[in-house]
Amino acid sequence: MNREQLFDIATGWFESRGWKPFPFQTQTWTAFLQGKNGLLNAPTGSGKTYALWLPVVLDYIKNNPDYKTKHKPGLKAIWITPLRALSVEIKQAADRVNDDLGTGLTVGIRTGDTSASERSKQKTKIPDLLITTPESMQLMLASKDYANVFKTCGAIIIDEWHELLGTKRGVQTELALTRLKNVAPKMRIWGISATIGNLQQAMEVLLGPQSPALENSVMIRAHINKKINVVSVIPDKMDAYPWRGHMGLHLIDEAAKIIKGSRTTLLFCNTRAQCELWFQALLDKFPEFAGDLAMHHGSISRENRQWVEQAIRDEQLRAVVCTSSLDLGVDFAPVETVVQIGGPKGVARFLQRAGRSGHRPGEESNIYFLATHAIELVEASALRRAVQETVVEDRVPYLNSWDVLVQYLVTLAVSDGFYPDVIFKEVKGSFCYQGMTEDDFQFCLNFITKGSQSLQAYDEYKKVEIEADGKFKVNSKTIAMRHRMQMGTIVGDSVMNVKFLGGGYLGSIEEWFISKLNPGDTFIFAGRKLELIRVRNMEVMVRMASPGAKAMHASWMGGRLTLSAQMSELLREELYAANTDTMTRELRALKPMFTRQRKESIVPGDDEFLIETFKTREGYHAIFYPFEGRFVHEALASLMAYRISLLTPITFSLAYNDYGFELLSDQEIDMQQVLDNDLFTPQHLHLDLQHSLNATEMARRKFRDIAVIAGLVFTGYPGKVVKTKHLQSSSQLIFEVFRDYEPNNLLFQQAYRETFEHQLEEGRLLLALERIHRQQIVWKATEKPTPFSFPIITDRLREKLSSETLSDRIKRMTASYMK
Amino acid sequence: MTLNIQINSRDFILHCSGALFWVEKRMLLISDAHLGKVSHFRKHGAAIPGVLMHKNFDKLDSAVNYFEPESICFLGDLFHSSLNNEWQLFHDWVARTPVPIILVAGNHDIIAPKKYHDINITIVSEWALDGFLLTHYPEERDGLFTLCGHIHPAVLLAGKGRQFLKLPCFFKSAQQMILPAFGEFTGTYVMEPQEGDVIYVITKDDVLEVPNKER
Repeated sequence: MNREQLFDIATGWFESRGWKPFPFQTQTWTAFLQGKNGLLNAPTGSGKTYALWLPVVLDYIKNNPDYKTKHKPGLKAIWITPLRALSVEIKQAADRVNDDLGTGLTVGIRTGDTSASERSKQKTKIPDLLITTPESMQLMLASKDYANVFKTCGAIIIDEWHELLGTKRGVQTELALTRLKNVAPKMRIWGISATIGNLQQAMEVLLGPQSPALENSVMIRAHINKKINVVSVIPDKMDAYPWRGHMGLHLIDEAAKIIKGSRTTLLFCNTRAQCELWFQALLDKFPEFAGDLAMHHGSISRENRQWVEQAIRDEQLRAVVCTSSLDLGVDFAPVETVVQIGGPKGVARFLQRAGRSGHRPGEESNIYFLATHAIELVEASALRRAVQETVVEDRVPYLNSWDVLVQYLVTLAVSDGFYPDVIFKEVKGSFCYQGMTEDDFQFCLNFITKGSQSLQAYDEYKKVEIEADGKFKVNSKTIAMRHRMQMGTIVGDSVMNVKFLGGGYLGSIEEWFISKLNPGDTFIFAGRKLELIRVRNMEVMVRMASPGAKAMHASWMGGRLTLSAQMSELLREELYAANTDTMTRELRALKPMFTRQRKESIVPGDDEFLIETFKTREGYHAIFYPFEGRFVHEALASLMAYRISLLTPITFSLAYNDYGFELLSDQEIDMQQVLDNDLFTPQHLHLDLQHSLNATEMARRKFRDIAVIAGLVFTGYPGKVVKTKHLQSSSQLIFEVFRDYEPNNLLFQQAYRETFEHQLEEGRLLLALERIHRQQIVWKATEKPTPFSFPIITDRLREKLSSETLSDRIKRMTASYMK
Repeated sequence: MTLNIQINSRDFILHCSGALFWVEKRMLLISDAHLGKVSHFRKHGAAIPGVLMHKNFDKLDSAVNYFEPESICFLGDLFHSSLNNEWQLFHDWVARTPVPIILVAGNHDIIAPKKYHDINITIVSEWALDGFLLTHYPEERDGLFTLCGHIHPAVLLAGKGRQFLKLPCFFKSAQQMILPAFGEFTGTYVMEPQEGDVIYVITKDDVLEVPNKER
């Protein structure tokens, strides 16, 4: 069959559904059928799924002209999605095409939710089209004879690649691709990505730098101009607007008004805790919403989530309070309105959320912005400009993630074993490991075979063995099993399952939260008031609590978001506008707050850098306002604290948000001395940062994930009796052990490097310091906290830095008891 | 490095390693050494640096050299797990430490008693001695002051300027004192002090009593 005939089939199918293919869809079909690899840049809900499912089917038809009568077995294509919640939707799309065209192709899903019986069925008879996640993909590489399963595969599609890029799951995907390229030489590789700043690089990471795959590739962009209307919700009375707080419940009446005025509304929260809180508050205040309102976040059980997703499609719900768990994929045609509660911190994310409404091509998208505290309104007006000018940020890919490589090598050793020469070449072809030396690779090999770089007396380390012919292999069944268990958890907070006493799974919750509760305590989770009965074997047993009981909301540690560089710049420009006559609606609404701020301090202009100092019951506060986003402030705070601590022995507690940072101490900081010594200098930045990093906890926190991924911490079997309890230990302890006894360990050093590259953003920091250097420093010693300082000084999540001896510090401290 | 205290008018010395010295008896008390833990991890594929297992024995040696005790009493959890190669290191340590050794068994002590008997270590489940009760688990018994372990106590200190420190400690209440875990790589549990409790925190090279105030 020639291409024209194949296209007739495809367009005919579109017409039978009453659709017309977009140019980007036909372009993708053509490129795919020509055997090319590529990256498709298309937003959610644009029809991207059919842009790639159709050519997969067409290719099968082309190679098997008698497809209607004779089925050719074997895997044809893999579809990788970052969220397993999306897999059902993707399967439905593929089934639709196959049913209508009568191809007889089977579609299977394999994710963490797939039952054991279903998995073993897939093993004996692999589906033609397989939908899976990066973790499950790795798990397949950990099963015997995987090469045989994959060898017939003609295509792999990585959906929502922008979500994976810049994460370690993205690195897992890169590694899987290096293997598949050899195992399935005919395989095309396609990525689908929303708009990000570094699309070209995204394609390079996907296909491998300077690879033959990259040479034979195209980038296809869907130019769909969707109109997005951003509306800030501003209450009539601004005096009541809180200066701090990130829940935003004071706008609940306005939110209810929006819900009532629209057919279906999604309310996006930034955290799961906020999501729970809003859901409960809406039901409490507006009982008429009962039955029409649902909640959706990543810790709620799959059944509940799927029910909610289906209910949205069926137009059974008025509103859903959700988190980023509903950011991606699924096509919810009936969603009319989107509400963003609190700053989304990034333009790409905001655009994606806005795109959830009016999900049909050509429809307009409405997104309402609810600022949770006053200064966030500035963010709202910055966002509107960002949307108009399509300023989108980059996703920075990881480099040299030794933890993921160590995990991958054990994975290969668990299945069929591997020969290092072959794997070294493959891995080095990936973006992440392009700079890997033979020594680095040898470190990883030693780590998995000897557990160290040299053999030691009395040592019994056992993991991967080297067989006589040089093959690296795991022969112990327990080690293999434990590795498979561990692989799924690439981000490792200890989670526990929440269950009703009489049966019924509600979802998962982080251990640290449960550890604060005692049996009999009441908490709110998954929209229910629950009483804790007992915690055993990673299971939290609960029953429904009496409705009147006082309950605390479940909370999650999950990463706080930071403003991107692009957003920070827009934010500064908006704020500087507060001193001019060209103020936006949001800025005008903030007038009372600006007046308060000016009473004791200033609203800085573009040539000014503001520092405020004041004393409260807590101690001496110094607040700096670079307006550079949380991560840069985190770095700047520890840099400044470190430099000041060199002048005099002192202990600081550091806090930061997107607007500025605070150094708090029990001693007064001599600010004049800070200015005289030019402590904002960009000189010696790298060295000073390194020192300050040693003094704070940042690298230690990064190490947590590394320890889990590299198999240093065993997280236990989910939901099973933990016989291996003796093996559990915290990454904190291991971090200290490495620091004291094995500081050259690449995994330990990786924690520091990742802090530099992904958290501190040294490059941005340098630019910020250079900017501050050009600005005039305005130091205001005020009587009491200013409106700008309020959200920062009340932040409880803090870092510390000290140049005093431990004994000196202890002498000024106390233990305390509750009477 | 050390701190002298009195309990029921007997002299004791607290050591920054977490060891406790009973002056009159010339007895060294050590709790929760968890020997063999590092090897246990390594045997199961977690690559904790192996040098660490020698560290515990160095620490034992320095405490013994400092006090030159006439006997040593381990208050439980001497060995973390079942037998592994670290037993050999322990065997060597016992051989070069020529004083009577007593083990008050704890929940982790699952190695066969015969192995201990073979190297002349006495195992007891508890030991009442001159008005003191030596046990692994915290317990209050009439007429006796308990010296015990098991908990791995630590305490959270607070200071002005939102300063906090978590440190391992000797935790003394009216009728008992809980010793910190002696072993490296063991972790801690943060205690909630009550009125009247006395807290001695330990750092790398110091033991300090900290005031316990009402919140």
